[in-house]
Amino acid sequence: MKDRKRIKRLNPLRAYFPIFVLPTLAAFIIGFLYPFIRGIYLSFCTFRTTSDAKWVGLDNYIKAFNDEGFFHAFWYTALFTLVSVIVINVFAFMVAYVLTRGIRGSNTFRTVFFMPNLIGGIVLGYIWQMIFDGILRNYGTSIVLDSRFGFWGLIILMAWQQIGYMMIIYIAGLQSVPEELNEAAKIDGANGWQVLKHITIPTVMPSITICTFLTLTNSFKLFDQNLALTNGAPIAFTAEGAIKQTEMIALNIYNTFYTNANWRGVGQAKAVLFFILVAAIALIQLRFTRKREVQQ
Amino acid sequence: MKSKDFALDKKNKPSNIILTIIFSVVSVIYVLPVLVVLMNSFKFNEFVNSTTFELPNAISFAGFNNYIKGMTFGNYPFFNSVFYSFTITILSTILILLCTSMCAWYLSRVNNFICKVVYYLCVFSMVVPFQMVMFTLSKTADTLKLNTPYTIPIIYLGFGAGLAVFMFSGFVKSMPLSVEEAASIDGCGPIRTFFQVVLPIMRPTIISVGILEIMWIWNDYLLPYLVLDRKLYMTIPIHIQYLQGSYGAVDLGATMALIVLSVIPIIIFYAVCQKHIIKGVMAGAVKG
Amino acid sequence: MRRILSLILAVMLVALCFASCGSTDSNAEAGSVFYLNFKPEQDEQWQALAKKYQEATGIKTTVVTAAEGTYESTLTAEMDKSDPPTLFQVNGPVGLANWQDYCYDLSKSDVYKELKSDDFALKGANGEVYGVAYVIETYGIIYNKTILQKYFDAEWSTIKSIDKLNNFDALSTVVSEIQAHKSDLGVDGAFTSAGMDSSSDWRFKTHLANMAIYYEYLADGIGKTDAIKGTYLENYKKIWDLYINYATCKPTDLASKTGTDAETEFKSGKAVFYQNGTWAYGSAAYDEATGLGLKDDEFGMLPIYMGVEGEENLGLCTGSENYWCVNAKADEADIKATLDFLKWVVTDDAGTSALANDMGFVIPFKNAKEASNPLVKIANDYVTAGKTSVSWNFPTIPSEDWKNGVGAALTQYAAGTGSWDDVKLAFVDGWAREYKKANG
Repeated sequence: MKDRKRIKRLNPLRAYFPIFVLPTLAAFIIGFLYPFIRGIYLSFCTFRTTSDAKWVGLDNYIKAFNDEGFFHAFWYTALFTLVSVIVINVFAFMVAYVLTRGIRGSNTFRTVFFMPNLIGGIVLGYIWQMIFDGILRNYGTSIVLDSRFGFWGLIILMAWQQIGYMMIIYIAGLQSVPEELNEAAKIDGANGWQVLKHITIPTVMPSITICTFLTLTNSFKLFDQNLALTNGAPIAFTAEGAIKQTEMIALNIYNTFYTNANWRGVGQAKAVLFFILVAAIALIQLRFTRKREVQQ
Repeated sequence: MKSKDFALDKKNKPSNIILTIIFSVVSVIYVLPVLVVLMNSFKFNEFVNSTTFELPNAISFAGFNNYIKGMTFGNYPFFNSVFYSFTITILSTILILLCTSMCAWYLSRVNNFICKVVYYLCVFSMVVPFQMVMFTLSKTADTLKLNTPYTIPIIYLGFGAGLAVFMFSGFVKSMPLSVEEAASIDGCGPIRTFFQVVLPIMRPTIISVGILEIMWIWNDYLLPYLVLDRKLYMTIPIHIQYLQGSYGAVDLGATMALIVLSVIPIIIFYAVCQKHIIKGVMAGAVKG
Repeated sequence: MRRILSLILAVMLVALCFASCGSTDSNAEAGSVFYLNFKPEQDEQWQALAKKYQEATGIKTTVVTAAEGTYESTLTAEMDKSDPPTLFQVNGPVGLANWQDYCYDLSKSDVYKELKSDDFALKGANGEVYGVAYVIETYGIIYNKTILQKYFDAEWSTIKSIDKLNNFDALSTVVSEIQAHKSDLGVDGAFTSAGMDSSSDWRFKTHLANMAIYYEYLADGIGKTDAIKGTYLENYKKIWDLYINYATCKPTDLASKTGTDAETEFKSGKAVFYQNGTWAYGSAAYDEATGLGLKDDEFGMLPIYMGVEGEENLGLCTGSENYWCVNAKADEADIKATLDFLKWVVTDDAGTSALANDMGFVIPFKNAKEASNPLVKIANDYVTAGKTSVSWNFPTIPSEDWKNGVGAALTQYAAGTGSWDDVKLAFVDGWAREYKKANG
């Protein structure tokens, strides 16, 4: 309440809406809001280009729900996300923990581990495809031949790229643990594990939340790396359909869009479903964060 | 003095020395992929797949052939792609930083109903996957002539506004009001207050948002691919993808060379701004 | 800070200026031409030709080439723009079904009248001409005459002349003997690697698959189908087994082999046989700079034998999947400019010689120049000898996804991670499913 009154004193600011907010808002409407709403509309249409859309109601959604490939992509993405969140966060935390103990060369290691973040997804995919195939060729196989290779290959790629970033966030969190607290605990006879469990982890909880959120959404929305590394191969054939074994949701949507001109509306409908899914996950995550903030 | 001794002591503990050794090994493994690319960029195309992990030898060594080939491939000069990548990244980042920091300050300070709506729309946009808007966005951008490297920053501002506004708002909320009040009592209007008082305080967040935007825009593939007028403009990632896809001809050597060329600017950027980048990510994480 | 602000404002103003001026540079009255080209291997030649036309007439002429495998998505994106292509391509009836609304009726145009025969026009239900084929291509198994002659001359060879190499069994014998004596001939294998990377897999998932489709259509007396039966899949398997087992590399390596790999192997004389078409001449011909490649008289081409009755009379696979269409939704002036451009390309000396010599095309127009491409000459010889040409039926394949499925199944079969049943499922079941998807 008090803040309100103080802000009122800055009142002239109100009149400056056109200068402060309008440029961003206008761009936001052009670059996001309008395409978003139009996208929802198009998910109820068949269309080849956006100008010849015809309304078909829920048809696209029914087709999307009956598409086995889409379901496979969903479960595959979910599994991938689960594994990558665990792998990336565990390793990132371990590395950060060691680097904050003041070992020799900490800064160099930090620099090296962060570097892969600067390389773009398409390029990363090509680099790793060359490396994996270079290794697998000796065993007479290739990354596109076995879905296990594709899965773990993508996990390794993502871990290589993201551990550095998450590590930085964990280091920031770990540095905010007061040194006296650690010392006090040690004097009280706590061992390293107990300190970690009862002091360190609770204090870096905010970092854990952030990192989990970031890895979760990054993995869920993954596209470039998936496209460049395996592009969905291999394919499993059944009488009902051909299912791309390593295709994630974003890639499935992209492929639906561009391989069959009659299914563009279905692609858009899948995109809407995908968006709802991501939004739901984010909302649940936000809930958790809120709860914790209240407790603090 | 004492604490320094203590630190040295810590560094020399046997367990820490072992850790240093382990981490050194891991670091080498970590940079290997990039070295493999560098190595292969000097090999003739046919040797990239067959001898991926061997150093170039007398037969496979291609000198700078791949670089020359990569740069002159097709009829689109690689330098143009480099130029447009730089133009787009720099213009977009400046535009985003300026507009969203102003917007976020206004939104958090005025905080009326409209502001809340705008703010939550921005937060909302962060969770929307690009696939949701990719098709319609390219159409909109084209109609409004936002399909050149000089105007595409407006698209980036629109699509990237969410995260930037969110991060700036988080910071503004933690800023004490008293400084701004003092400025306004001194007779500063909102514009002067913003540029002379608020903006300098925001510096760390500006850096961290700036870095996130640069990393995103420089490496972005799908958005410029779908939006830019391809008769005239390409960016580096588009160029590399283009090199991958000619009928019956994939030149892996040249692709590796262009990957090296596209990574160099970002490595230089990292080497120069390393401290800021790491601090920026830290600050961004804590605030966001 | 203020300086930064003014700088930024200036930049934004400049940007806006660019935005508003950007669209006014084309001469609206004279119209302009924007060709979205399908064939990346001829990109440079098209650019040169467009430049020449622009210099000669002052009409703005732009050529953009889509990267391999992205034509459909590029076309979709470009068509949606305010300055869409005025000239684009479809691959045949299936492609036309997608874009018919955008195809200008060419029945009164000069470019249609220049066609040698109506066979090369893509017609609508009421006699409208929606597309004209502009290049006729031929593919088969290209071979290196010099090395094959060495084989014929060798004392251990069973087949002694090219005339005897006229069916699958003969081919199979030749190939296995070459493979067994590869060091004698200085080759790494009989066939070039059948790479299944996206730069090369179309040779097998599309062109080779066409053989099985062709025979089935022929047997059933049809030209298209909503459900293929896969009658000739066993033959498809026979030839594919030959390609993967008698090659320069192990079948398990094929997944990551590229088109360039196969091309290099053929050029450097490391393999005798190379399945490809007339378009491959440019890249496989002798190149002074590297000393690699085949001289014109070293090229030979065989029909694709796969053990079907009566194949001694088989010819090469000839057809077109490249039809020009003019965008009906473009401005009047642009349509006119495009029609003029096409007329110039197929009648003017500069155009026809660029098509014939620079691009190595056989074009189905009255003023066509004879291409200097030796592979084209070989193709003509087959026709003169009265061999039955195999038509191109792959434009009736229901979707890109069908091809991708067959390609993946072939790759997995070659690597041993999948079985031939997968190819069957992809070929037969996949066809029906994709047909349904594409048509409702």
